[in-house]
Amino acid sequence: MSKPHRNLVRDYVQDLRLFGSPLSKVGLALMLATLVVLPTVVQDDFWLSVLIYSGITAIGAIGLNLLTGYCGQISLGHAFFIGAGAYCAAVVGGDAGLPLPLWLLASAAVGAVLGGLIGPFTLRLRGHYLAIVTLGLIFIGEHLWRNLRDVTGGNNGTSVGAEATIGPVDLGALEIAGENYSRNQGYFWLVWALVAIVALLAKNLVRTRPGRALRAVRDHDQAAEVIGVRAGRYKIGAFMVSSAIAAMAGALFGSYQQHVSPDDWTLLLSIQYIAIIIVGGLGTIFGAILGAIFVGALPALIDEYSGVLPGVATEAGGDGFISVFALNQAIFGLLIVLFLVFEPRGLAGIWVRIKAYFKAWPFSY
Amino acid sequence: MRVTTKGALALSLILVLAACGGAGEDDGAGSGSAGAPGNTAGFDGKTIKLGVLTPLSGTVAVIGQPLTAGNEVWFEALNAKGGIGGKYKVELVQEDTQYKTDIAVQKYNKIKGDVVAFTQVLGTAPTLAVLPQLRTDKMLAAPASLDALWVREDNLLPVGGPYQVQAINAMDYYLSEGGGSKSDKVCTMIQDDVYGEAGQQGIDFAAEKYGFTVTNTQKFKVGTENYAGQIGALAGNGCQLVFLVATPSDAAKIWGTAAQARFAPQWIGQSPSYTGALAKSAVAPYMQQSVLIVAEGTEWGDDSVPGMKDMVAAATKYASDQEPDYYFAFGYNQARAMTAVLEKAVELGDLSHEGILKASAELGKVGFDGLAGDYQYGPAETRNPPRSSTIFAVDPSKPFGLRKVKYNFTSDAAKEFEFKKSDL
Repeated sequence: MSKPHRNLVRDYVQDLRLFGSPLSKVGLALMLATLVVLPTVVQDDFWLSVLIYSGITAIGAIGLNLLTGYCGQISLGHAFFIGAGAYCAAVVGGDAGLPLPLWLLASAAVGAVLGGLIGPFTLRLRGHYLAIVTLGLIFIGEHLWRNLRDVTGGNNGTSVGAEATIGPVDLGALEIAGENYSRNQGYFWLVWALVAIVALLAKNLVRTRPGRALRAVRDHDQAAEVIGVRAGRYKIGAFMVSSAIAAMAGALFGSYQQHVSPDDWTLLLSIQYIAIIIVGGLGTIFGAILGAIFVGALPALIDEYSGVLPGVATEAGGDGFISVFALNQAIFGLLIVLFLVFEPRGLAGIWVRIKAYFKAWPFSY
Repeated sequence: MRVTTKGALALSLILVLAACGGAGEDDGAGSGSAGAPGNTAGFDGKTIKLGVLTPLSGTVAVIGQPLTAGNEVWFEALNAKGGIGGKYKVELVQEDTQYKTDIAVQKYNKIKGDVVAFTQVLGTAPTLAVLPQLRTDKMLAAPASLDALWVREDNLLPVGGPYQVQAINAMDYYLSEGGGSKSDKVCTMIQDDVYGEAGQQGIDFAAEKYGFTVTNTQKFKVGTENYAGQIGALAGNGCQLVFLVATPSDAAKIWGTAAQARFAPQWIGQSPSYTGALAKSAVAPYMQQSVLIVAEGTEWGDDSVPGMKDMVAAATKYASDQEPDYYFAFGYNQARAMTAVLEKAVELGDLSHEGILKASAELGKVGFDGLAGDYQYGPAETRNPPRSSTIFAVDPSKPFGLRKVKYNFTSDAAKEFEFKKSDL
């Protein structure tokens, strides 16, 4: 008997395949190869640091997408959990001097506990009301960060001494086979490997029973209860997982930047995360990563190349009718608007369409 | 996922490829002999490149733009005279931080390999964010804020009297010539961040030295919409002097609210509370009557101060559309301090990052021709920032809306203030 067509799904196990088709296996291999090789090709510290921040943002965005995209709970409090994670890394990784896996997990644990405390509010509130309550969290957080001086250093902020060390390996000053790697190269590998791990874990969560439950809660929580999903449990659970991931992102942010202050965790950061998952695509894991790269790296790209346009001033008080910096922000804003108008499903939507085209080939129309 | 032999082979191949691409520091770099500095990052034998990390877009751009223009004008005037040591021209590499820490770190990474030092890093938070990297890269940077934190940092090159000094001198003026007495009700209204704390610290220090008490302190968040509550509390406490630590957009709202409430104590505003636009706004009459500003230097266009005369001449020549602005003067002063460091480094024959740090540590006193107090540089632990301030009154007929009331004075209490190294 000849094999059935690759698109034919005959049982649940097949349906669960992450990288089922040969094409997606090639894609996976390519992505892993890029992860390993990219920092050795792009040795430039600027682009590496842009990509490191994008990767950290991608981790945080995956967390928010679980909560907002999959469970349908709009949270403006994401920056609070990110900040909590950074301060936790400062204490566990810096002051106590514990290695990378410990401070990363400790931050995740702190995030989960905080999320578990906030989670119950989501049982009574929905939509805009929840957004407003979580908005309060930002301001409570800001008050705490500015006043819990022993932990956060108050308004000055605190240096984060959390080193990226696993046993004898220090990713901040990596040496393999006699070759020295810069701190940015080491952090690139660390951050993007973690993006891959977190993405895989999140994907596992959403493609199985909890994922279906989350989507049922998102579409209608009462209906979900009727069909046997314990909406309350899943709402709090989503909050805990999302906060834990956010705290890990914060810990990485602190460890990479080495100094954090309360000005880093403002409402603006939360809004930026919401923008990322909307641009990337709500309710997709891949979208969160695409969105983070888009929002993180695009301004840098525009900044780098808009200087060649005529009439653009590249320095303060230079000739030209618009400064390169103002132009950058204008283009960026315009792109976001265009995206939302023409591709409301975000970058992931475009990706899905391209994939569908080739999957159905030669019958794509 | 099954790991196949093919996959493992491919992976090991990639790893081998990757192993050739380390970008870590390798030992061995050319160093110059005395007299002629060797080529190094940011110096090609002719031109010295300096970095500028400043908000050129966003809300703080109103400060970043004139400050950077100040940097530019100083160096253009210097280049016209031949440049550093009479032969090396200076060029600026400007990057926009948007006043965000992560962008500042990215932009720092972008240009750190192309510059010998940073002549401007604007803002307390961005400076703190790049400081760990400044230390590992042995880089010198001039922060564009008057925090006392910078005084004891080897990698930073501050200019001007810190905020604490301004606050202490302001109280000295109020108690001696400003018609105040120790029994007056002195209050403060401060922004809830590092900058606000610095002003408060100065007032608290003065309170101890001069024996007055701070009756009431109101804190506010940057960008607050309505200040009626704070103004009501200050008025209710019968405050006779209010020391304000704010930035212009908040200060305008605060004074506007006070004017409406007919609450008219003596206000003294820390220098960043003011900008020229305020003297042309609707609150100008109230400010003329009730507000003094404590800052450094002199009023714009004051010919009796040689530094001001030179600066206005240079500004007219190289940036003809420059509005009078004391952030411009700050940038100009910064560039002057950096020039002193570069001159020293050229003298020592080493323009590498380490060479510049060494030059900064060996630098003596640098004068600012009356635009700011003279700064005693040297190793961070022995540095002595200027302790002088100038009191200004608001006067819309003046170029920047400020008229000097008491120029360049130093109080005894300000001399006693100690700058400690803080754990950053």
